[in-house]
Amino acid sequence: MQATAIAAAVRAGRVSATEIVAQCLGAIAASGDRLGAITRVLAERAHAEARQVDAAIAAGHDPGPLAGVPYGVKDLFDVAGLPTTAGSALYADAAPASADAVAIRRLRDAGAVLVATLNMDEFAYGFATVNATHGTTRNPHDERRLAGGSSGGSAAAVAAGLLPFALGSDTNGSIRVPASLTGLYGLKPTHGALPMAGVFPFAESFDDIGPFAGSLADLAVLWDVLRGDADGETEADGDGRSLRIARLGGRFQDNADPDQHAAIAAIAPDAPVVELGDVARARSAAFLITAFEGGAVHSAAFARGDALRFDPATRDRLFAGALLPPALYREAQAFRRHFVAGMAAIWADHDVLVAPATPCVAPPIAEPTVAIDGVTAPARRDLGIHTQPISFTGLPALAVPLRRPARLPLGLQLIGRPGGERTLFRCAEMLEERALTGVSPPAGAYQGIGL
Amino acid sequence: MGQALKILLSVDRFLLWLIATVLLASVLPATGSAVGWIDLLADLAIALLFFLHGAKLSRAAIAQGVGNWRLHGLTLGSTYLLFPALGLALVWVLRGWVDPALLSGLLYLSLLPSTVQSSIAFTAIAHGNVAAAVCSASLSNLAGIVVTPVLVGLLMHRAGGGVAFSWHAVSTIALQLLLPFLTGHLLRPWIGGLIDRNKAILLPVDRGSILLVVYAAFGAAVVGGLWTRVGPGDVLTLLALSAVMLGAVMGVNVAVARLAGLPREDAIVLLFCGSKKSLVSGVPMAGALFPSAQVGLIVLPLMIFHQLQLFLCAALAGYFARQAVRAAVPAGDARDPLPRTAEEIAAVAHGRGLAVPEACLPGIIANLAVLDTHAAILRDTAKADNR
Repeated sequence: MQATAIAAAVRAGRVSATEIVAQCLGAIAASGDRLGAITRVLAERAHAEARQVDAAIAAGHDPGPLAGVPYGVKDLFDVAGLPTTAGSALYADAAPASADAVAIRRLRDAGAVLVATLNMDEFAYGFATVNATHGTTRNPHDERRLAGGSSGGSAAAVAAGLLPFALGSDTNGSIRVPASLTGLYGLKPTHGALPMAGVFPFAESFDDIGPFAGSLADLAVLWDVLRGDADGETEADGDGRSLRIARLGGRFQDNADPDQHAAIAAIAPDAPVVELGDVARARSAAFLITAFEGGAVHSAAFARGDALRFDPATRDRLFAGALLPPALYREAQAFRRHFVAGMAAIWADHDVLVAPATPCVAPPIAEPTVAIDGVTAPARRDLGIHTQPISFTGLPALAVPLRRPARLPLGLQLIGRPGGERTLFRCAEMLEERALTGVSPPAGAYQGIGL
Repeated sequence: MGQALKILLSVDRFLLWLIATVLLASVLPATGSAVGWIDLLADLAIALLFFLHGAKLSRAAIAQGVGNWRLHGLTLGSTYLLFPALGLALVWVLRGWVDPALLSGLLYLSLLPSTVQSSIAFTAIAHGNVAAAVCSASLSNLAGIVVTPVLVGLLMHRAGGGVAFSWHAVSTIALQLLLPFLTGHLLRPWIGGLIDRNKAILLPVDRGSILLVVYAAFGAAVVGGLWTRVGPGDVLTLLALSAVMLGAVMGVNVAVARLAGLPREDAIVLLFCGSKKSLVSGVPMAGALFPSAQVGLIVLPLMIFHQLQLFLCAALAGYFARQAVRAAVPAGDARDPLPRTAEEIAAVAHGRGLAVPEACLPGIIANLAVLDTHAAILRDTAKADNR
């Protein structure tokens, strides 16, 4: 069920927010969370928020564009009264957050109702959502496969129809990778465009939050709500002009599924191929910056002797990052500035760049690997091969699902100039109109809330 | 530098075409009734080129970078004041020493607008302010459509360097340059997208038109005795004079940037946009402004200058890029190795007040090995696939 449809029904008084939330919680309970997507169900809070929405309507007020729409957040957003765990047992008993994250506050002000926190790779370090405490999140399209990560719980819950939308975070591809593997729209905004206050950090140079949704209409509303009254958006040429699309070449072309090649060829048959410069170096620099900043976030815990309370797979990566020489970090940042400067000229000739979001469909949980340049590599580490270089530039990127009913999902990413989110939405609409992209729900997905 | 060289080489292929066209015109110039046809085609090509220039020029690009008026003022000043002053000075000093027609060519090139595409590309490579470069270069081209013909009328007439220019050319300018340019630009809301999307198809049209103008110009010049008048010595003289002109303008721009306290990114824009001259504007404009027999001589200095500015700017852009990377990395500890052994890890961890549990050591060693590979890839000392 679309968020905008639910909100329209609630605002028109055809259904109450309380009923919607009860149905949503019922569906979550009935699912038994076979997918391993949900970490905490916030029933009490959800009922209270729904009652507030209903009270507003009864008083003749408009609760907002997301009136009564249930949603979930990745387990790294501050939720007032709960510890922010970032998916780690280490913080299961941490002091409760004193206030909601700014993003949650904006959603609440728009009438949305928070019903659950969602599974993730510990501290968002991974592309698999294999969590030592909460288990592995399964892909609703094939439960034997990964949902991707690190925002895998958010993606799986929306793809399974349990929630109309969810928030995730994307440091190196943690929204776009699971969106691609579960067949959803997932937005990584321009770096810094959405509020990070109250979000557990991973690597601040690249950390962003963003929504997962099953429809572009929902995504556009969510974008407006999450942006608040922020300015600074730049849409150089506005609507009405046809979009100048280019394809990303090099490693983006070398590591892609044949269906992605075919889709990109269909989207823009005559589009020029653009090289992003030295993508391999960019990805390595991104790895080093992430490791260094991630290590710095957790140094205090390592100094306290808490290392053994981490998930071993995450711990050793973060600890290694905490030992990197600062000079290497500065070197990686210097290369980043060089790489970003080299990209600026691209936007004189192009509005949108198209590339695969992941190199392949969801890998099996039993064999969580991907082939990169013909070499087998761990999925947890390397599923983000195509997203990481884009995060590195801070550019906005929208994962769009290829239209492939009854097949494993696979996505592309549309990359725009800084502040070019609306251009990406426009491009995605155009692709959906041409029936090249669109959400194909998995068999057995929850059919939605009855209005 | 690699990226700068790539751009240079791709531009240079066109220069090879230009040289080939000049050779073809020298060996096989149009004669008899063909001259009329070639001239007519060249006139149409000029109008087409300016139609495309107009359609390609994005006012949005100018609007986005507007605001940095001091920088744009300095860039326009360099293009339309400093360069012409230098051109006039050279004509004055060298009168009697160098063929007056070639001096006219030098003066003509000094009056031209800046290049758009390569100014932006080199600014990007050099870590300069790309948005400002897009605006400055586009502004320069927009102004050039009026300012250059006016300067040509005022200065070349007065300097009288042996080339005929009369105000009768005003009607030619209006018909061949201004009208198609404005038509193209006014139609941009409808055809801009089509043109932007089909740049790859339009490039040969663009370039082919320039080659046609060059062929017509040099053919007429050859028939008029170009190569009996111009020898290898003259070409070398032009090369030397181009170098003097380019060096002087770049030197002044560097000094002005310092005096004005421009940030490094803006100084790069002034250096690249303020010191370049557009071949793609200059050749067709000459075709419209001067009698066909003189166009070859007029654009010869421009072609040589163009070659030189590309080489120099590519080298400078590469140098600035390396400088930018170096500036961000302190030299002393840049190559600090990553700790790899248990002892090295323990030492670094101790220095940072971290406790390394025994159970973590193998995992940390393995992860540091992966990060070391990434460090090698970052420093370009390993192949990307050695992950």
